[in-house]
Amino acid sequence: MSEYIFLFDLDSTISKKEILPTISMRIGKLEKMRELTEATMRGEIPFRTSFLNRVKILTPVNVSEVNALVAEIPLNEAISQFIRENRERCYVLTGNLDVWISGLMRKIGMDQHVYCSKAEVREDRITQVISVVDKELMAKQFVQPLVVIGDGDNDSGMAKYADIAIGFGGVRNIAPSLLRNIDYAFYDDIRCAEFLKSLL
Amino acid sequence: MDKKKITVIICCAGMGTRLGIGTTKALVNINGKPLILHQLELLDQYDDIRIVLGYQAERVISVVTKYRNDIMFAFNYDYKNTGAAASLSKALPGAREYVVSMDGDLVVHPQNFKEFLDYNGECIAVSDCNSDEPVHIDVENSKVVRFSKNGKYEWPGLVKIQSGRLTPHSGHTYEMLNTVLPIDVLHVQTRDIDTPDDYDRAVAWVEAGYERTGGKNE
Repeated sequence: MSEYIFLFDLDSTISKKEILPTISMRIGKLEKMRELTEATMRGEIPFRTSFLNRVKILTPVNVSEVNALVAEIPLNEAISQFIRENRERCYVLTGNLDVWISGLMRKIGMDQHVYCSKAEVREDRITQVISVVDKELMAKQFVQPLVVIGDGDNDSGMAKYADIAIGFGGVRNIAPSLLRNIDYAFYDDIRCAEFLKSLL
Repeated sequence: MDKKKITVIICCAGMGTRLGIGTTKALVNINGKPLILHQLELLDQYDDIRIVLGYQAERVISVVTKYRNDIMFAFNYDYKNTGAAASLSKALPGAREYVVSMDGDLVVHPQNFKEFLDYNGECIAVSDCNSDEPVHIDVENSKVVRFSKNGKYEWPGLVKIQSGRLTPHSGHTYEMLNTVLPIDVLHVQTRDIDTPDDYDRAVAWVEAGYERTGGKNE
């Protein structure tokens, strides 16, 4: 058995749809969200700036409502299954907010295994964002050998600290900056999970 | 041989500079189709296929995933400083009992290739000398005994071997294989495409339905 710890990006890696755009579509703000998301994935806007702006778009919605919608987002089944079956060795590392993703994290058994951004909530609304996670810094803190799996520009930082870096392009194309920093790429959820199992 | 026992690794990291067309050889057009798709069509029944990429990786991924998306891509961006063995080594983790390794510039007779894949056990493919700069092979008693400079046959870069017998290496693939010889030999008709002359011969050969035409010694 290996000693690898598996570190997963959430959006478009575990989830089969992009989380924030899917929520924005429900409230008719897709276009603005899409613009910001695309620019971020391409690495044109720093993740923190872009994330704070994207949170603003969704601030008028009740936190409990967003949380429930996020929990219902379709998942890449084989990858989620791998996480459920190996939960003690898996962690989720996402820029998304604790108050939005807690339901989804419980669903895949990662509620105690998630590093994410944090927000303050009053009367079911976000009053302010407290912290925005820096994935590179987080990944750097792990002392066990790491396998990381992601798809976006902001996953390149954590890929640098990985012993094995994997890109998952099954939902959207792997960001070019990440493609240059990975060892393997998959475009099929089942094949990706098979390979992860071979690394256990 | 049980197809579920086999991992197929196609190495296409290099630039193919001798061909002089600025395209990775995997994407070279052979009779209206990129070479990599010719190869994948012959592997339709295999489900652990790994393609090692470096030069123009995104272009190859884009072509391949339109054909099938259950491929594992491995990356060797250091392709200028390493040999094909480094690419092969990169794709080995978690491989099945047998590994079939092939070069991304190999054009192979479909029937011969099927025989090679079905062959029960390890084997090394040999062909008559076709290419301008071949790796030669010495055969004794139907086994490959050594890679050499002037053996009777040419090695088209095609081998099937137990994955447990391969040790990661950064040089040439034949150096990696030298330690595990002898291995059964299987004769296959191939053309590889290192140079423009190779390319013309390969295209003529495929056009003629893989009839024995266009080889240098024929």
